[in-house]
Amino acid sequence: MDIKAYIQSGIVEQYVLGLADAGERAELEQLRAKYPELNEAILNFEESLEKTATANAIQPPAFIRASLEKQLFPAPATIAPAENTFTPQPQFARVYNNNLWKYLAAACIILLIASTTLNFYFYSGYKNSAQQYQALLAERNTLQANNVLYKQGLQMFQDSLMLRIPMNPLPGREQNFATVLWDKNSKAVYIYTANMQQAPKGKQYQLWAIVDGKPVNVGMIDSDCNSVCELSKINHAEAFAITLEKEGGSPAPTMTEMYVLGKVKA
Amino acid sequence: MSEVSSYKETELVSLLKQRTQAAFTYLYDNYSPALYGLIVSIVQDKELANDVLQEVFIKIWRQIDQYNPEKGKLFTWLINISRNASIDMLRSKSYKEQQQNQSLNPDVYTAAGAINIETDKIGLRKVINNLKEEYKILIDLAYFQGYTQDEISKVLNIPLGTVKTRLRSALIQLKEYVRR
Repeated sequence: MDIKAYIQSGIVEQYVLGLADAGERAELEQLRAKYPELNEAILNFEESLEKTATANAIQPPAFIRASLEKQLFPAPATIAPAENTFTPQPQFARVYNNNLWKYLAAACIILLIASTTLNFYFYSGYKNSAQQYQALLAERNTLQANNVLYKQGLQMFQDSLMLRIPMNPLPGREQNFATVLWDKNSKAVYIYTANMQQAPKGKQYQLWAIVDGKPVNVGMIDSDCNSVCELSKINHAEAFAITLEKEGGSPAPTMTEMYVLGKVKA
Repeated sequence: MSEVSSYKETELVSLLKQRTQAAFTYLYDNYSPALYGLIVSIVQDKELANDVLQEVFIKIWRQIDQYNPEKGKLFTWLINISRNASIDMLRSKSYKEQQQNQSLNPDVYTAAGAINIETDKIGLRKVINNLKEEYKILIDLAYFQGYTQDEISKVLNIPLGTVKTRLRSALIQLKEYVRR
C-alpha cells in the first residue's frame, strides 16, 4: 500500500472533518494503527483545524454559561427551600379558606336574590289566582242566587194558585212579551219581564193594573229583575199593562209608551 | 490557547468523566468561544447559535464516556458534536420553513448556496472562500449542510464517483489553506 499517496488523497481531512462514510472510516482506523505517518498526518490536521477554529473564536453571551450551570449543577440551595414549603402551607390554606368564605357568601347572596325574585313571582301569581277565585266565587253566588230565583219563578208558573196573565205586544212593540203572575190568595202581583227590551238609560218599565177602566200603579220593574219579581198587591183588575216611564215612575201612564197589555180572564 | 495546555487533554477528559464542576468550567471557558465561532459559521444566526451551544455542552457532558481518544483529539470530537448539532438545528429549522413553503425546489441550491458562501466571512467558511467554485459548493453541502455524498450526487446531478473524487480534491486544497 502506498501510504504516502493514501495520506495525500484527502481522506485524512475527510475523516477529521467527519465527512467520511463508515467504510472509509473503518479503513482509515485500521491503517492508522499500522502506519505511524498516517496517525501523525491525522493529528497534524486536527491541530490545524483546532488552530483555525480558535482563530475564529467568538465569545458566546454570558447567560449561556449561567444557564448551563443551572441545568447541569442544580445548586443545593435551590433544593433546601423545598423543606420550607410546608411551613407556609397553613397560611396558604387560610387564604384558600378566605376565598372559600367569599365564594360561599357570594353563593348565599345569589340564592337570596333568586329566592326573593321567586317569592315575588309566586306572590303575584297567588294574588292573581286569589282575585280570579273571588270573582268566580261571586259569579257562582250570583248564578246560584239566580238559579234559586228561576226555580222559584218556575214553581210560580206551575203553581195552580197563581193566575197567569200573558201580556202581548202592542203594534210597533213586537218582540216584547211579559207575564203577570197574580196570587189568588194573597193578591200579590209578580212580573216576569225576561222577554222585554232593555229599558233605555234614565227610563224604567212601570206595571199598571186596569181597575174599573182606570190605571192603578202596581210598581216599578227593576232593570236587574231577571226572574219573577214581586210588586204590589192588587185586589181586583181587568187587565195589566206595562209602559216605559221616566226613572222612578209616573203617577199616570204615558199611553203612547205602552209596550204590552194582557187582559185578565174572567 | 495557552490555558488549555495547563491541563493535558487526558487529564481534562478524566475530570470530565468524574463530572466535576471545575472540569465543566474549565472546558467551557477554554473551548466555548471556538465552538461558538464554528456554530455561528454554520447556522449563521446568533439566536440559533445560542441554543445550539447549550445543546452541545449538555451533549458533551452526557456523552463524554463515549469519547474515544484513539479516534481523535478531544477538540476534534467537540467540533464534530458542534457541527452535527448545528446541522440538526438547520434541518429542523428548514423543515419548519418547508412546511410553510412546500414549493421548495432542490435545484435552487446552486444559486442560493453560492450566495451564502460569498456573503460569509468567518471561520472555515472564510477558508473555503478561497476554493474553486465547484469545490466551495461541495464543501458547503458536505460540511456546512451535512449532505452525504450520495445526497450531493443527487442534488448537483453529478455521478457519485465524481462527487467522491471532487470532494477529496477540495479537501486537499482546503488543507493547504487551513495550514497557513
